[in-house]
Amino acid sequence: MITVSRVHKKFGKIHAVRGITFELVPGQVAGLLGPNGAGKTSTIRMITGYSTPDSGQVSVGGYDALLQPLAARRCVGYLPEAAPLYPEMRTVDYLSYRARLYGMDRAMRASAVRRAIDRCWLGDVAVRRVGKLSKGYKQRVCLAAALLHEPPVLVLDEPTNGLDPSQIRETRELIKELSRERTMLVSSHILAEIERLCNRVIIMARGEVRADADPAALVARARERASYVVQCRRSRPGDDERMYKVWQNIPHIADIQPDTPDRAATVQGWSIWMLAAKPGAPDLREQIAQAALDAGVLIRELRHEVPTLEKIFLKLVEEAPEQAQAVPA
Amino acid sequence: MIARVHAIASRECGSFFRLPAGWIVLSLFALLCGTLFTLQTLVPGNPATMRGFFTLSGWLLIPVVPAISMRLFSEEYRSGTFEALATSPVGDLSLVLGKFLGAFLFLLIMGLPSVVLSLVLFKASDPKPEIGPILTGYLSLVLLGSFYLAIGLFISSLTANQTLAFLATLFVLIAFLAGPAVAVHNGPAWIRPIADLLSLDIRTRDFAKGVVDTRHLIFFISSIALLITLAFASVHSRRWRG
Repeated sequence: MITVSRVHKKFGKIHAVRGITFELVPGQVAGLLGPNGAGKTSTIRMITGYSTPDSGQVSVGGYDALLQPLAARRCVGYLPEAAPLYPEMRTVDYLSYRARLYGMDRAMRASAVRRAIDRCWLGDVAVRRVGKLSKGYKQRVCLAAALLHEPPVLVLDEPTNGLDPSQIRETRELIKELSRERTMLVSSHILAEIERLCNRVIIMARGEVRADADPAALVARARERASYVVQCRRSRPGDDERMYKVWQNIPHIADIQPDTPDRAATVQGWSIWMLAAKPGAPDLREQIAQAALDAGVLIRELRHEVPTLEKIFLKLVEEAPEQAQAVPA
Repeated sequence: MIARVHAIASRECGSFFRLPAGWIVLSLFALLCGTLFTLQTLVPGNPATMRGFFTLSGWLLIPVVPAISMRLFSEEYRSGTFEALATSPVGDLSLVLGKFLGAFLFLLIMGLPSVVLSLVLFKASDPKPEIGPILTGYLSLVLLGSFYLAIGLFISSLTANQTLAFLATLFVLIAFLAGPAVAVHNGPAWIRPIADLLSLDIRTRDFAKGVVDTRHLIFFISSIALLITLAFASVHSRRWRG
């Protein structure tokens, strides 16, 4: 339904998007994740036809966004990040105007507007001026406008940005409901949102796709490489070297990291170790505890680190581009 | 295409009536027209003609047109509504034409009260004024207004700053009106034919006399077409730049 193939986009000397490729099939709900400046909005703008790629190809609903722009745009319903509206217009007039832009005749327009108003719970504010509405309602008006022509593809850029918690919940419910019958691309930097709404996640950083997978698969894949946090007493000089050797002798340990800088200052007299297991290793907690016991090391904490999407995301976006590996969908 | 142009034009024109700025512009133009009519035309003992009114109409539109044109694209860029518009299935040419026609329609509505002035002249004067020069005068007002609007449309398509769009349009319009006149009187000999070619004053004077010169019509229509094309190029280039 959406195909992005080797797309580049540059603004002056800045490479906003560097040769990204991904494809969304019908019914897929993909989350586009990334820190600010990752290239999410540039990617979305090329998919929605707002801007044109410098090279590469974008197609929506089978239409090339460059060669058949109007047909491609007709397939997309787009909710821009800022939810831009004409404040002087009434909700119903704005939706009717948008329907006219999609070439609907009077009868079609009336039913499409009514349907969008019902679907986005806008009945209460249908005749109010858009400029007088709360941010949440404005977001819904924009979403209603995106749904007017029943597009097979919905692209939502930061759909819950600036909303209060109850509005966020309502908007998420609405998106969830809409996602049952459409292909959706949701851009966000809120990981929990993507985890709840999407069955696929595309992580971008510095204009590149760093990972592209089912969120659960991404977490499961990361779990294959378990890691353990061990906190043990540091009572005399040379303890750190001794403990390092103890951890080294445990089979299946791939990597040993001493105190992380942010923790060291807060824990006096105790050292914290991050032990990374080799892929596919069994649960090593007992072996670690036994090794510490045998070496006379007092353990205060032994924790199996469960990778979350947030940790995976941070790891991927912080990695240098050549270190990151895109995970195939 | 026509349906979309019509949708954009009617929203554009309607928005002027939903905003205080639109009513202020309407009032300002009516005030300027009334003042000019009283000072230039409704003078006891003078022949019943609106020639003076139409000759100066070029200056009359100067403060008004930039106020209309400044928001055409600049406001859309600033508020972000351009993103919604540019991602709907509307071609860039339809977008530019819709904007231009919406503003043009508002300009026509704005000029309607001035028709009352000519009716007053018909009622108050004896012998009655000639209808021909009045009609050609209105034609010049429409052509000049459209030409100004096309300049404003193009400038508005270049910037997201409405104030800048207003000032730049105002500057260009003053330069267009005053520049050729200054060049004809004070400039070197070689510049005079160019100044004559660009002069709006000569054209409005001819229209006000009741003369419809095809060269003037071609000048206005081709200039408007060129400026609309430039506005289209500017809007279209944003897709490559944005």
